Amino acid sequence: MDIAVLVKQSLDVQQLVVDRSSGKIYLDEAPTKAGDIEINAAEEAVRIKERVGGKATAIMLSCWGTSGRRIKEARESLTRLLAMGLDEAILLLGSQGMDSYAASKVIAEEVRAGSYQLVLAGEGSEDNFSGILPGRVAAELEWPYVAYATAIEVSGNELKVTRSLEDYDEVISLRLPAVISVTQEINQPRIPTVLHIMKAAKKPIVQKEVGSFSPKVKVRELKTLKVERRREIIEGDLDESLEKLLKFLKSEGLIEVRS
Amino acid sequence: MRVLVFSHYLDLAGELISAGMGVGEVSLLLTSDQKDKLAQVRGARRAIVCDSISSDDQAALIDLLTEVTRDHDLLVLSSDKRARELAGQVAQMLERPIATEVSSMRSEEGKLVVERMTLGGKAIAVEELPLPAIVTVQKGKFKPPEGPSVQEVVEVKLGGATRRYEVVERRAKPKLGIPLDKAEVVIAVGRGFRRKEDLKLAYELAETLGGVVGCTRPLAADLKWMPEESWIGISGVRISPKLLLVIGASGQQQFSAGIMDSKVIVAINNDPQAPIFENSDYGVVRDLYEFLPALVERLRR
Repeated sequence: MDIAVLVKQSLDVQQLVVDRSSGKIYLDEAPTKAGDIEINAAEEAVRIKERVGGKATAIMLSCWGTSGRRIKEARESLTRLLAMGLDEAILLLGSQGMDSYAASKVIAEEVRAGSYQLVLAGEGSEDNFSGILPGRVAAELEWPYVAYATAIEVSGNELKVTRSLEDYDEVISLRLPAVISVTQEINQPRIPTVLHIMKAAKKPIVQKEVGSFSPKVKVRELKTLKVERRREIIEGDLDESLEKLLKFLKSEGLIEVRS
Repeated sequence: MRVLVFSHYLDLAGELISAGMGVGEVSLLLTSDQKDKLAQVRGARRAIVCDSISSDDQAALIDLLTEVTRDHDLLVLSSDKRARELAGQVAQMLERPIATEVSSMRSEEGKLVVERMTLGGKAIAVEELPLPAIVTVQKGKFKPPEGPSVQEVVEVKLGGATRRYEVVERRAKPKLGIPLDKAEVVIAVGRGFRRKEDLKLAYELAETLGGVVGCTRPLAADLKWMPEESWIGISGVRISPKLLLVIGASGQQQFSAGIMDSKVIVAINNDPQAPIFENSDYGVVRDLYEFLPALVERLRR
């Protein structure tokens, strides 16, 4: 089986600095990383390959600029995925203004150029989490799409996908080719060893400029979120901190307590 | 502007209709299993009823939604998993832009301007979408309308939807007593709890305060100590209680984005550097194993 894994190099939101007083968001300063859920998707591709044979390729579209630093970060992520057992990686150099419409056109074009039967993706990216892209890619390819997979079984040309919705678990049967998005429950990704990472450095990462599709959505502005918390630290010994907490909760009208 | 509204969960349709009424005239799409609730619908001018497709038939809904959306300037969906699975596919088939989880929207010179949370909850993006467009609406941001009932009912037929896949098995998930997103008091537990049995400390506190216990991702996904439905965060449940107590959770961004609408947040964590304290109203830097039993004891007194 020939599998493509879609990986977004996301902005590391945990390390993104936001200055609430000036409203400045330091996008360029924050590092980027492959999203955790996409790493689960890569792990699943490797596991499927181990069971039924074949090849797995990471397709990454960079959308946080193409500076030397961003390309280096993207290549490091891809090397790690190759060390987990993927065979090849394709790095598509996109632009920062791309929306999900343009991005899925670019990705679908790359998928079409290969001989993939299965496309795996994460249920949502770490920085935007709209969860729209895999469905768009599927529609563009005219392949069926099943989201939120927690298990995938392959037998010949057929897939059995267990997926998790809010109120139901479903088992879905479908034929290849298909696009499947996974959740983090699907597996526990392996941690590549240093030796694996060194070996992976020899695997190919093909870097490509992409065709231009004009985005439809325009981001006018990014604003810091104005949720002001009091950030009061309650200090003192156990009894003191208990009393202080209860006093606060009482003054906010959240509990009734006898003093 | 002609607005089409659809949700698998009819109790959310009110919020979507309200969002749509702000920018245009609303038609609500009802599937075969939803049409008997027609009399309860408020605010929509028109109901478009499809008798041959049920709301749990995702594979067929793609074709139905794509067809009916074609005649509308805006498709408004809810933000649940089923809607997200459909939204991207319909958007690409109709070559339309999409904005997910919008918290506000308005029309401006033939364009739709929306606000939505992004960057793991650290920022709000103001986005401009050319029409026709598709949006999914964040839960709880729009108040269901009073308004008159539906004035016009249109039937829609769909000739042979494409069978993309078959659902061969469907199992209902166990339900929590009170859903987390409706609870007024929530106790959120994290990795600071060393053993599953120790969660009883949190359940005792929840009982004293009349609250519901939820958890961070690792407790539901990795350790499986609690059902998935208890998982709070951007990929889990978003909550908006009056009081949230976060106990033994460091406050990873994806969790923090899910608790933003809470009124008062109290964090209890023994690590003074835990990011959760940045995101709390009151923080207690103490060992939960010492503090929690004392708190329960004090509340019960």
